Amino acid sequence: MMSPRIDTRDLVAFLLKHLDLGKSKAKTDPYRRMLCALIVVSKDEKSLLQNYTVLTESDIRQHQEEDIVRISTVLSIPKVAASILLRYHNWSVSKVHDEWFADEGKVRRAVGLPEKPVVEYPYASELNCGICFETYPRDKMHAAACGHPFCSSCWAGYISTAINDGPGCLMLRCPDPSCSAVVFQDMINDLASYEEKEKYLRYFLRSYVEDNRKTKWCPAPGCDYAINFIVGGGSYDVTCHCSYSFCWNCTEEAHRPVDCGTVSKWIMKNSAESENMNWILANSKPCPKCKRPIEKNQGCMHITCTPPCKFEFCWLCLGAWSDHGERTGGFYACNRYETAKQEGVYDEAEKRREMAKNSLERYTHYYERWATNQSLEKLSDIQCQPESQLKFITEAWLQIVECRRVLKWTYAYGYYLPEHENAKRQFFEYLQGEAESGLERLHQCAEKELQVYLNDEDPSKDFNEFRTKLAGLTSVTRNYFENLVRALENGLSDVDSHGACSRTVSSKCLGGSSKGRGGRGKATTSRSSSSSRNIDDLGHWSCEHCTFANVKSASVCQMCQQRR
Amino acid sequence: MANSNLPRRIIKETQRLLSEPAPGISASPSEENMRYFNVMILGPTQSPYEGGVFKLELFLPEEYPMAAPKVRFLTKIYHPNIDKLGRICLDILKDKWSPALQIRTVLLSIQALLSAPNPDDPLSENIAKHWKSNEAEAVETAKEWTRLYASGV
Repeated sequence: MMSPRIDTRDLVAFLLKHLDLGKSKAKTDPYRRMLCALIVVSKDEKSLLQNYTVLTESDIRQHQEEDIVRISTVLSIPKVAASILLRYHNWSVSKVHDEWFADEGKVRRAVGLPEKPVVEYPYASELNCGICFETYPRDKMHAAACGHPFCSSCWAGYISTAINDGPGCLMLRCPDPSCSAVVFQDMINDLASYEEKEKYLRYFLRSYVEDNRKTKWCPAPGCDYAINFIVGGGSYDVTCHCSYSFCWNCTEEAHRPVDCGTVSKWIMKNSAESENMNWILANSKPCPKCKRPIEKNQGCMHITCTPPCKFEFCWLCLGAWSDHGERTGGFYACNRYETAKQEGVYDEAEKRREMAKNSLERYTHYYERWATNQSLEKLSDIQCQPESQLKFITEAWLQIVECRRVLKWTYAYGYYLPEHENAKRQFFEYLQGEAESGLERLHQCAEKELQVYLNDEDPSKDFNEFRTKLAGLTSVTRNYFENLVRALENGLSDVDSHGACSRTVSSKCLGGSSKGRGGRGKATTSRSSSSSRNIDDLGHWSCEHCTFANVKSASVCQMCQQRR
Repeated sequence: MANSNLPRRIIKETQRLLSEPAPGISASPSEENMRYFNVMILGPTQSPYEGGVFKLELFLPEEYPMAAPKVRFLTKIYHPNIDKLGRICLDILKDKWSPALQIRTVLLSIQALLSAPNPDDPLSENIAKHWKSNEAEAVETAKEWTRLYASGV
């Protein structure tokens, strides 16, 4: 039974609205306290909903030990034998149970656990070592459960060779070629050197993670945590305690809204063409005005060239920043990539050349934006220094990192979006553009505006206002990106189902609505054969094929080149 | 010099190889290096190698017996598990090596490999393909090669 629930995020937004931190004495404000409590609650909720757990090394050892003890008790066998059994069955407790109780003898033979020695020398006082061929008193000899005797120095050499050979030492067998009895860990403890024992234990621990279908190491360099994942339901995205987010399925970095197949295609493509790309992108761009090379080492896309030039431009499209506004019809319109170059008549050869260039340009366009977001994501990582009392700043930065990652992958998404699906492409670019400008706002606030307070010695009064603003932006951006990811993961199905009303959608889009889910708009008009219905108040006409809003004077669609 | 601190095991093995040789196999250490053996294996009866005398070299590495000996055919042989350099595809020379195995057991295994070629685990792709597509013809080639290269002259 589900009880009606209020979305904590809505509550946070409500509280933020009522929170007049500029006037209130910080800690005593009831709204503020509620807000803090809510942030804690929403975090707990998140962890409850998680379909994975992060394991530290000691967690792993503990789980491993628990499994071993369980098998040892249920099967009434020594712990060393239980651990071999588990290791053989990839650490699946249930598999060990099933197999063992189905046919114990078969399991014993396969794993190498003889119930009693196969050779016995009850009366011998001296025995011959099968490796060095020397004779030793009985008590100097050792044997696995099978009873084949070898001297301690040969055993030590045998174990040492196996351990230095790799993780195969975990299933070490008796040296006798005809015998498959396993060598238990206690024997290794008795006969191996300290370093070798350490190595063995390392393999033993790794095996529990690597041979187990439910766990994987966090792939971040230098990270020792493992992730235990509950397969079935929920997304594959996991975030390790080291703050690295990756896809549990393909272990590449988290890449929602793009699927694993697209990611591997994209990575393959980039590695194949990376030399070109690296050359093209080579870390710097010339200032569009004074042509001095500029290296972008922090912050948002709004670049101001150093004096005396001081030219303000957009890092992505190198256009003047003053052009990036609502006045020009699309805020942060630089995410658009116009595939159509309408004017002029091309002959066939020129067209082909143009197409080849276009394909590279198209890729460059998407790759460049993907790569920029990648570097910003890293940058933000560095900046993200947790300070307990400034949690909202940390949250904002974590949000920026996450959004940069999502935004980055939307460019790979865009690259693989079929070119002929114009309506989808337009909708996608709109959503992406909105996402980009929202994120830029947040990034700007978290970096540039924060700078003012960081340099300020005494606690400023407007810091509380800043706090409200940043927290608000963080939550708005989070919401927006969550919707974006959902929409893209659905394959922009809104466009399919509302294809008829896409005209309504795009006019809404151009109106600058920040909801982003324009596709949900109610279908008030269905496509009509009368062309006059496709003309809006400004005299734009909407292309019947791709819904692009063309200027009145054009007789050919500027987007898809179809006749009006 | 290298022979001065030869492990007891190698000395014992060598002695036993010389005093009680396995049928169809001879192995004698080189004068200069006691870890290097000149080996001859007679082609097993009822195999395409019957009547042939095959020369091999066997070397005991420093880690022996913890590591497997290195063995190679010197005589050209048409066999799916032996390549044109004479290298042998045999599990006990690789991952199935055990220090409880010996020179004698290794050579006996090689002799057995001559009796039972295994084209499903080939070292020489072409020969294995030949073996699987037309065994009779492949056996003829092996006999031919035995006559040509292993006639023991």
